[in-house]
Amino acid sequence: MPDRSTATRPGLAPAVLAPVALALAAAALVWVAPEMLDTFSVNVLTRSLLYAALAVTVDLLWGFTGILTFGQAAFFGAGAYATAIVLTHLGSSPAWVLAALALSVLVPMALGALVGWLSFHHGSTPLYASVISLVFPIVVTQLVYSGGEWTGSSSGLVGYDTLPLDLPGFFRLAGIFAVLVALGAWVFVRSDAGKLLVAVRDNDARCSYLGISPTRVSALLTVALAGVAGLTGFLFAQASGVVAPENTGFLFGTELVIWVALGGRGTVLGPVLGAVAIDYAGATLSGDLPFLWQLILGSAFVVVIILLPDGLAGAIRRGWTRVNARRDAAAPAVVALPAAGAAAGGAEPLLVVTGLGKRYGSLSVLDGIDLAVRPGELVSLVGPNGAGKTTLMRCLSDGTEPYQGSVQVAGRNTRGMTPERIVALGLGRKFQVASVFDSLSVADCLRLARAARDRPSPLGAAATLRLPAASLDILRLTGLDTALVTPVRLLSHGQRQALELAMVVALEPKLILLDEPTAGLTKAERTTIGTILRRLTADLGCAAVLVEHDLDFVREISTRVVVLHGGRLVLDGTVAEVVDSDLVRAVYAGAAHA
Amino acid sequence: MLDETAPHAGTPPPLQLRDVTSGYGAAPVLHGVSLSVAPGEIVALLGKNGMGKTTLLKTALGILPLKGGTVLVGGTASAGLSPARLVALGVGYAPQEQPLFPDLTVRDNLRLALRSDRDLAAGLDHAASSFPFLRDRLRQRAGTLSGGEQKMLILARALMMRPRLLLVDEISEGLQPSVVARIAAILRAERAERGTAMLVVEQNLDFALGVADRWAVLKRGEIDDAGPSGPAMRGRILEHLSI
Amino acid sequence: MLILLDVVTTAAILFIVSAGLLAIFGVLKIINFAHGAWLTVGAYCAVVAARLGLNPWAALPLAFAVGAALGTVAEWLIIRPLYRRPLDAILATWGLGIVIGQLITLAFGRDVQITPNLLGGTVALFGLDYSLYRLFAVLAAVLIGGSCAALLEGTRLGLKARAVIMNEALARALGIDTARVRLATFAIGAGLSALAGVLLTPLTSVDPNMGVAWLIGAFMLVMVAGGSFAALAVACLVFGAVQVLVSTFVSPILGSISVAVLAAVVLRISPRGFARA
Repeated sequence: MPDRSTATRPGLAPAVLAPVALALAAAALVWVAPEMLDTFSVNVLTRSLLYAALAVTVDLLWGFTGILTFGQAAFFGAGAYATAIVLTHLGSSPAWVLAALALSVLVPMALGALVGWLSFHHGSTPLYASVISLVFPIVVTQLVYSGGEWTGSSSGLVGYDTLPLDLPGFFRLAGIFAVLVALGAWVFVRSDAGKLLVAVRDNDARCSYLGISPTRVSALLTVALAGVAGLTGFLFAQASGVVAPENTGFLFGTELVIWVALGGRGTVLGPVLGAVAIDYAGATLSGDLPFLWQLILGSAFVVVIILLPDGLAGAIRRGWTRVNARRDAAAPAVVALPAAGAAAGGAEPLLVVTGLGKRYGSLSVLDGIDLAVRPGELVSLVGPNGAGKTTLMRCLSDGTEPYQGSVQVAGRNTRGMTPERIVALGLGRKFQVASVFDSLSVADCLRLARAARDRPSPLGAAATLRLPAASLDILRLTGLDTALVTPVRLLSHGQRQALELAMVVALEPKLILLDEPTAGLTKAERTTIGTILRRLTADLGCAAVLVEHDLDFVREISTRVVVLHGGRLVLDGTVAEVVDSDLVRAVYAGAAHA
Repeated sequence: MLDETAPHAGTPPPLQLRDVTSGYGAAPVLHGVSLSVAPGEIVALLGKNGMGKTTLLKTALGILPLKGGTVLVGGTASAGLSPARLVALGVGYAPQEQPLFPDLTVRDNLRLALRSDRDLAAGLDHAASSFPFLRDRLRQRAGTLSGGEQKMLILARALMMRPRLLLVDEISEGLQPSVVARIAAILRAERAERGTAMLVVEQNLDFALGVADRWAVLKRGEIDDAGPSGPAMRGRILEHLSI
Repeated sequence: MLILLDVVTTAAILFIVSAGLLAIFGVLKIINFAHGAWLTVGAYCAVVAARLGLNPWAALPLAFAVGAALGTVAEWLIIRPLYRRPLDAILATWGLGIVIGQLITLAFGRDVQITPNLLGGTVALFGLDYSLYRLFAVLAAVLIGGSCAALLEGTRLGLKARAVIMNEALARALGIDTARVRLATFAIGAGLSALAGVLLTPLTSVDPNMGVAWLIGAFMLVMVAGGSFAALAVACLVFGAVQVLVSTFVSPILGSISVAVLAAVVLRISPRGFARA
């Protein structure tokens, strides 16, 4: 029953409605606030609200996507300086103001593209991205210092013509902008496309093997948020009438991170409130208690990082969900895709391995492996520990792995290809330890598996979830179809394995690699997985390569068995041939020598 | 069944597992395993790959946290104790995966097994008495030894810890029959001299039955079968191990 | 000739400043962003030693002891819970740096402090009058590098630390108390950082924020060096040369960022930096 989940929901409305209502209320508050505040507060809060918008961009990168960044300060500064330079040196006619606006977004985006290229590449680490984000503001600050008259060097730029607004006007402009940025972020992170960010944070390897490039997601996000930071810089340059090197610096970058951490990373409201409260309190208190304020802030930051990693808002949210049972989001209706026509049996092999070898230093792990797998075949790869099975799987699915020989998937040589490109050729890989997204729900995981084919909406959660019939079968056989809104971290070991398999099958792969899919499963779960694998290969014409220790399972489901021992392929034959082979008995009784 | 073997009067068994559940991350690999090793006893733990044998050793040594049940090492509950404390209680370990520091010298590999450098000279002498080739290789990097020599170094290091309980993981893997026989002789001699109890994880059935007093087969994280050693058991065990 | 001397002495100073950070990163894989604060603490040890009327050189052991003691407390309270969250460890140590900086400000004020010169004057070398202290820095760098190497290669603690670096799981399985190895490493690294702070006093003004200026350069060098003192020495020479050359022939401001930019590019091309070179 594909449409078992009940209510047909009126489009995207509910996902957007609540935040919009809240945003309208916030905007109304921002509108009337200048009437009630003194000039000092209006002045400071104008700045605080812009910082709040900036904090939201830091949070999208760090809290949601896991990229710890100090670089938003530099994009903000670049936007502010672009504005001030245009207005100071080129002119302040409406046309130049528009040019300043455009440049304040485009210059940071161009810089963002450079930072993204430097920070995110296949094999780069989160630490490296943070290093770049640290270097970048330092470089920008030094360039500002050495910019002479153009940048005003250490004294900055001041006295250029700004927009014709009074103090409350700038306050409202900043406030509305902050509300819009927060609203946009809120809607986006709750949308289907927004789940990509959390997916990259949770498990970038799984993203790759779903055909989603985590480096691309991170780089695009960096570019987009560099633009938002630049726009914030434009408004800052307008509202404050002065830009200084400190606005671009690494220290400002660390302050942004502190506000987000204290407010609550991974929430949208937390950073907004954190930035406004701390910046405003700092401006108010630092006059009276200059060093004490910094001391308290620093101590609070250390304590929060250690004890409350998701900040005050995160702690409140956790308390809230403990008191109020989590209100279930409506499950999407699952729709079966029309089954793709079964590939003609006996066609060209989907996988051709020729002379594959791999060494770690002087240690040879794989040596002269030749293997061809055709549609409809279910090939089991067996052998004792250290035989090289998992290494072989890695070489088959990641062309950036250094190896000798060649691997062809669907007729294409995959050397040098990242996993996401090989997945696009029709490969799916299931890992030994279920590789899923712990912070997301079952339905979100499945939708991400379809993301490369069905573009997810950046505005809301779609009411339907389209899955191939085989994927749906897995959900039904394991009861996951009734648990679509369950967070993945609450699933049992067997359910996680089934979910990962359903995700891999949802890619509609032509060739599936599975590393010990039955490890730790109950008898019933093993039978289910066996049924599904047979159906995928025999009925749908997929090819499957399976690493398996459970030889009973191998005997039940394989069409062919390949024995690996000491990095060499020692036997390749039918189940009967392999089972009766003395060599295999010897390998497993430990009497054979590599 | 196995843990009902009566311990020697007065001395607690060097190792006793009661209803142990353990594993990596969320997935349990061992489901309620009970097993004990009496003083001076050698027990062989058999089973196919991926059945939880290494997991059991790592749990006994406190490397993997216990998810359920009890582990007693020499009568002391091991829950919450670090491997360092358990080693101090007299547990020696000859691991299978990444068992050596390949870039350190043979001497430094051995040195790391001792509490203090004061015992180094005596320890090296002792190791060289069982494995004479080590005497000439002390300054060589461990990674440059042959496969068989590395296995002997692993065992020599574990014996240098002078354990009351020795955990051995697949020490015979990939070795020539003559070397396997030497290792079996050394294990028996160690037990005869010092009364060391041993839990020996093996795939080589003949070697295992040759050194052990008792055996147990682990299947999918549970003890599937067990019995006393002896040639008559060979067929029964092979049933569990073959395809 | 002057340039060559500048390169060597600049490299020596970079090495002195980075050694403590490297010792901690090499073994613990943790970046101590409070490193700048430890440099500052060390420099203020020189201030305190001068106020107490001690021989200026006595500040060196004093700073090492104070730095190591503070390091012990910091490892225990702040670092230990964060070994599995290395990015959070960067942030927590940064916060710790803020706290230490403010405490120093509260105790000593934010003004620049005057410290006695350790070694004054110049010496004639290759026909040049060159600062004696900068030449002494080369000796100090060699001594620090040498003692770190001796500690790592020659002592039992060093052996254990190397074992933890190479294969922590095996080190644990052999009964090595890895928590104690980490504590000792952090304390020694923190002590070295404070020691470096004393050695910096003749070269820079002493104020509560002095450490931050040195932090980023040291951090980049350590990232490039990867965890090896030999690689750090190479990195200091290469980057010191670039810094001196760019400062001399292009602009001092660009010279000061050349280390950071060069390190970022090196890491982009070869993620393991100089560690394999």
